[in-house]
Order: sequence, then C-alpha cells, then structure tokens
Amino acid sequence: MVRIKHRYLLINILYPDPKSTSGRPATKPGDEVPYTVQFRRPSPDRMDGGVLTRLIRDGVAELYGDYGSGKVAGSLQVKYFSQATSTAIVRVSRDYYRLVWAALTFATRLPNPVGQSCVIQVVRVSGTIRKSEEEAIRRARLSIRRAEAAAKSSNAATAGLAAATPQLLSTEDDDADMINGIEDPDDPRDIEEDLDDDEG
Amino acid sequence: MPFYDLNVPWSTPNSELPRTLSFLAESYLIEPNADADVCAVGYNVVALNFTITGKLPTNFACAIPDPLPFVVPSKLTVLRRLTLVLTTPVNNAALTQLASSYDILAVRPVDEKSLLLAATSLDSDIVSLDLTQRLPYFFRFKTLAEAVKRGVRFEVCYAQGVGGDAVSRRNLIGNVQGLIRASRKRGLIVSSGAASAGACRGPWDVINLASIWGLGQERGYEALSEEARKVAVTARLRRTSYRSVVNVVYGGEQAAKSDKKAEIREKGIQDVQEKRKVHVLDDTSPAESEKPVSKREQKRRRKAELEKHAETKGSVVTPDHTKM
Repeated sequence: MVRIKHRYLLINILYPDPKSTSGRPATKPGDEVPYTVQFRRPSPDRMDGGVLTRLIRDGVAELYGDYGSGKVAGSLQVKYFSQATSTAIVRVSRDYYRLVWAALTFATRLPNPVGQSCVIQVVRVSGTIRKSEEEAIRRARLSIRRAEAAAKSSNAATAGLAAATPQLLSTEDDDADMINGIEDPDDPRDIEEDLDDDEG
Repeated sequence: MPFYDLNVPWSTPNSELPRTLSFLAESYLIEPNADADVCAVGYNVVALNFTITGKLPTNFACAIPDPLPFVVPSKLTVLRRLTLVLTTPVNNAALTQLASSYDILAVRPVDEKSLLLAATSLDSDIVSLDLTQRLPYFFRFKTLAEAVKRGVRFEVCYAQGVGGDAVSRRNLIGNVQGLIRASRKRGLIVSSGAASAGACRGPWDVINLASIWGLGQERGYEALSEEARKVAVTARLRRTSYRSVVNVVYGGEQAAKSDKKAEIREKGIQDVQEKRKVHVLDDTSPAESEKPVSKREQKRRRKAELEKHAETKGSVVTPDHTKM
C-alpha cells in the first residue's frame, strides 16, 4: 500500500518594513512599538490562504520552472492561515518540500492585491499536521507572553517580569540534536529511500 | 547552537541598521522571557561589516564606533569586521595593522590572481567573493584547500541572490555550486550581507538553501554555526594571543602561563612549552571543538592552574586532551 507522505511547513510571515500608515490602535502617541510587535504584525486584510498559495506556486514556477510546478502542484495546499498571527501551515509532498521551502525563502513580497514586502520564515517541518498545529499554538502563547513583558517593562521600567521567568535556554548543546533542527524526525515506520537527488 | 551572521554591512548613515539587527536577533523557541526589543529570526552573533575599496586609509582606527550609536538587541553580540576589496596589491604588514582595530578581517578578491593571493599568503580570516557576478575563472581545489588549511574560510553571502534579481540569483547558485564542489564542502561559511531587514532570512531557511545548492543539511548547519564560530574565535586569538598559542591569563607573581586553546595546525607553529605534545589534526578546526570558553570556565581554569602550580614546580600545564 503506497501512502502519499506529506510534510507540513509551519511558516511565519514577518513584515520587516516600518508601517507606512499610522493606524495603530491602543498606543499612546509617542509610544514606540517595539520591533517584536512590529515585525509580527497581523497580515493585511486582503491577505488569505489563496494569496499565499498563489505566492508559492508563482515562486516555484519562477525558481524551478515547469518541472518544479509539476512536481509540487498535486500536493500543495495551504491548510491553515491566520491573519492575526500571520502564521500558516502549508502541506507539501515529502519528496519535494525543500523546493517549496526555497520558494518561500526567495519570496520578497506578497502578490498583488496585497503588495507588501515580507520575509517568510519556516519555523517547523513535520510529518503530521498535528505537530505543526501544536507548535503554532505554543508560539502564539510565547509571543503573547513576550508582548506582555514588553509592555510591562516599557511601562514600569523594571526587569522584574523578565527576570522572574526562568531561563530555559539549553546551554548544553547536543549538536546531534540540532542537525535536524526544526524538522521533526521521521516516524520509524515511514523511513524510506530518499528519492531526492539534490541533497548533498 | 548559536548562529552567526558575519556580514551585516555598515555604512553611515545607518538608519536601517537597528531594524536589521533586531530582525536578526534571537529570541524565539524556548525562552518565554525575552527582552523587550529582541525579535525573532534567530541569530546570536552578528558582525558589522565595513568595506574599504582601493587604497588603504591612513587612519587605522575602527570605523564602526564603540559603543554603537543605537540600541542593540541585548541577546545579540556584535562584532566589528573589515572587508578589503583587493583592487590594489596589499602586503601583510599593512593588513595586520588595519586588522588590529577590528574583530574580523575579510578580503574580497576581484580576479583570479587576487584570489590566489588571498588564499595563499594574505593574513585574513575570511575570503569573501562577490558571487552574484559571472566569474571568468573556476575554483580550484588546490587553492581552496590550501586556504582552508591556513584557517581562512570562504564566505557565501545570500542577500543579493534572495533580493529578487534573476540574474544575480542564477550567478549566485552557479558560483556557490562551483565553490562547494571545489572546496569539498569544507571551510565555507554563510552570511547574509543584508543591507536591510527585508533581505534577512532565518538560519534554518538559509541552511535549507545551502542544502539545495549542494552543501547538505549537516554541512549547511555547520557553515552557519560551527565554521562561523571558528572564524570569530581564530580571529580573536590572532589578535590577542602570541601566535595563537600562548596567552598570559594570570600575570601575577607566580607568572603562570596558560595555554588557551589547543589549536596549532594551520600556522604549523611549534609548541612553546617543552613537555606539551603538539596535536596536529588534519581536521580543519582551528579552535577548541565543543564550546567557546566562557568567562566562568576561564576563571575556573585559572584557579585550577594556580592550585596545580602551587603543588608542582614550573609552569607546566597539562594539555586538555578532551578537546580533539
């Protein structure tokens, strides 16, 4: 029985440019919005899963031509898109996920109805959509906490909150662990020969 | 696993720079208590790069002010780097003098002759080529291997290729392929060269690009973290210690000399202390393999040496065999 295996890429869309319009709610005038919040602002209204799909398909076509488009077209789908957190989960076939990943890396601006420059960062690659979802939830929580800490420290000018929460940075680097990095390891049942010749 | 981005162009005026640095800085994944103005793409160490073309300036001071004129994200370490474009021939003495006020020295050859010069005789830490141009020559294994043996690393900058220009992208990919092939995947580092925040990419995205271009996931990860770290550490050693071997840590009454790192290979420098064995590895790691020595660790070592010295005579320091 041949099952089509997929990879689910969890991506963040970051907006590196300063906001041109000053329609920022709930900030006092003269209050500097910290970069954290600026880079991860919600996507523009016109942005949705369809725009993202178009972005990816065009990117793959530009980078890999008809070959790439053909390889990737069948299984490419944006499974989840959140405008508020500018996060998306994209499904790709397992053999060619690197192509799509590269196309995302090379994307510099969102296509026309939206037309904003962006940086797309792939945050997690996993074989099941569930893992990607969990990661998305975890990150959303983290960023809320971070934004709260930012607001508090800019108001009260104390590092109290920041200092209180424990440092979870692992100082013991296990390089073997990091080789896979953000990719979830394969399920032992799913290991098969890698058909992709591109990888060195 | 700290990620290094050793090429963030510096220029005055630099209105984009604080934004770019914030964009590059690390805060994501694990820590829930990140500082206010740190944002996540994922780098820990960044080097600001100041480029000089043509004649060397007479003023040898560092062009990048210290401290920096804007707020730097707190988790980010900022190094200062100088890139010299080799349009005119340069000699080593002038280079070392210039380099002493910066943390890292890089050299940008413009043709095959200057590439040969940079790889074989010039005393720089990085050789950086403009890979978005069509290069009229091929990379040769001999040249690159010799350079890597001396401790010089070759740099790939991805920002111009990612920027959107199809021709640069094609040239970049082709040249990187040639570089990877000729260098046998060793001795490469990847950096951004990003003039604005929009040209930066996350470290894992860059590693993925490198693996598509032929470097492979493991080597790509090394290129971004380990190799870059080696560059930074070797550069520092070259500047602070005597021929990268001996560094006086505690110059007190006992005059204890301590050996900072066990790296000797590229320069082929002989051991200064009699009883130590020289461990020459054919591997291209110029500094201690696992971790950079933290201040606490340095203090501990100093203490250990002093105690040891109190027991034994002379300044014999046992080599650290674990660092292989």
